[in-house]
Amino acid sequence: MKLSYFAAFAISTALASANHADITAGLSYVNVKADGKTYKIERVNTPNTYLNNTYALTSRPSPPFFVQPFIVTEGVETYGELELLDFISKKRGVFIDARLPNWYFKSAIPGARNIPFKLFLSPSAELNKVLKSLGGVKKNGAWDFSNAKTILLYCNGAWCGQSPTAIHALAKLGYPKDKMKYYRGGMQSWQLLGLTTYVPKEKK
Amino acid sequence: MKRLTLLAALSLTMLFAGSYDKVKITPDIAYIYVYHKGKAVKVHRIQDTKHKLTGEYAKQYRPGKDIQPIKLDENVRSIGEVELLHFMRNKVNKKRGILIDVRPKSSYRAESIPSAVNIPLRVKDNKVKFDKILHIFGAKRQSDGSLETSNVLDIAVYCNGLWCGKSAAFIKALLDAGYPAEHILYYRGGFQMWKILGFTTVQNN
Repeated sequence: MKLSYFAAFAISTALASANHADITAGLSYVNVKADGKTYKIERVNTPNTYLNNTYALTSRPSPPFFVQPFIVTEGVETYGELELLDFISKKRGVFIDARLPNWYFKSAIPGARNIPFKLFLSPSAELNKVLKSLGGVKKNGAWDFSNAKTILLYCNGAWCGQSPTAIHALAKLGYPKDKMKYYRGGMQSWQLLGLTTYVPKEKK
Repeated sequence: MKRLTLLAALSLTMLFAGSYDKVKITPDIAYIYVYHKGKAVKVHRIQDTKHKLTGEYAKQYRPGKDIQPIKLDENVRSIGEVELLHFMRNKVNKKRGILIDVRPKSSYRAESIPSAVNIPLRVKDNKVKFDKILHIFGAKRQSDGSLETSNVLDIAVYCNGLWCGKSAAFIKALLDAGYPAEHILYYRGGFQMWKILGFTTVQNN
């Protein structure tokens, strides 16, 4: 009797895991800190869930929206979701959402810091502050990024030019290409895979 | 009279070309032509900016479907849509390359990327059939069992999307057989990304 209970339990557990959508084999979730809270990044586990928000739109007016090349510029590695999750869980650098704040504060990938791409396009005191926070040192008017942190940037998806624009601008400032990574899939691929998003808190 | 019709025809084609400018592919490309089963197909994006992807390819819940890595092998290049279109234009259209859909026959029949040919993944398990396919790709099996690959075609492989492992399994079979990695491309986004970007698809009934 006890044995059959046990068997039933084992079978139901096996069935449950067969219906569970993992990130990839052996990895069902990744914990990430954002706004002082821990967020569990996992895939949606409710049957019949379909993407239906603004990210289900197939076609956006061009300009400004065009399908982005797979590689932003030679030397900057393109990441997928597994590489992104490895980057943030192992704290290998700074994870940057390069979209404008109105997009970021609606919904973002947990753990991403918002640095809008426009900031990188022209000199400002704010830009200097940001570059310093990334490990840049200003010497005789020129930036030295030899001790800069590795950064990973994303925006809205394969049709979004905001993070590529930021990467090009940073490269022009001298940021080493091997210290920049690009998550091309962005918010669209992230949500199409049913991965966790969160609403960042606006600092007042 | 002749000149007038010519002018009318010209302005008509210009009008037609202009109609894909609302949602372009890249700043330089609104559409391209590819050959699908001997016919030229115009590949562009859906121009209705309110159009949403619905149905099977909008589905988020995919149990048992692992997210794939960005790179399958050190020497197999991963590509996106822009690079795939270049491949179609410069390789497939010139018969120097083949785009392969490794999904099951039923999926391919229902809808595929234009210019793709269907080689369902399970074909790799049939040695005779797989050798025939390698032969079509230009890789000839030698009497000592090795593969002669000096004149092989370029191959681009796709399946259902970021969570589909069929392309990876097919590419692994090609590499195991001795097919040179430099002649293999992996379109990781697959049919799902193709659809969500509103690209033209074809039916294969």
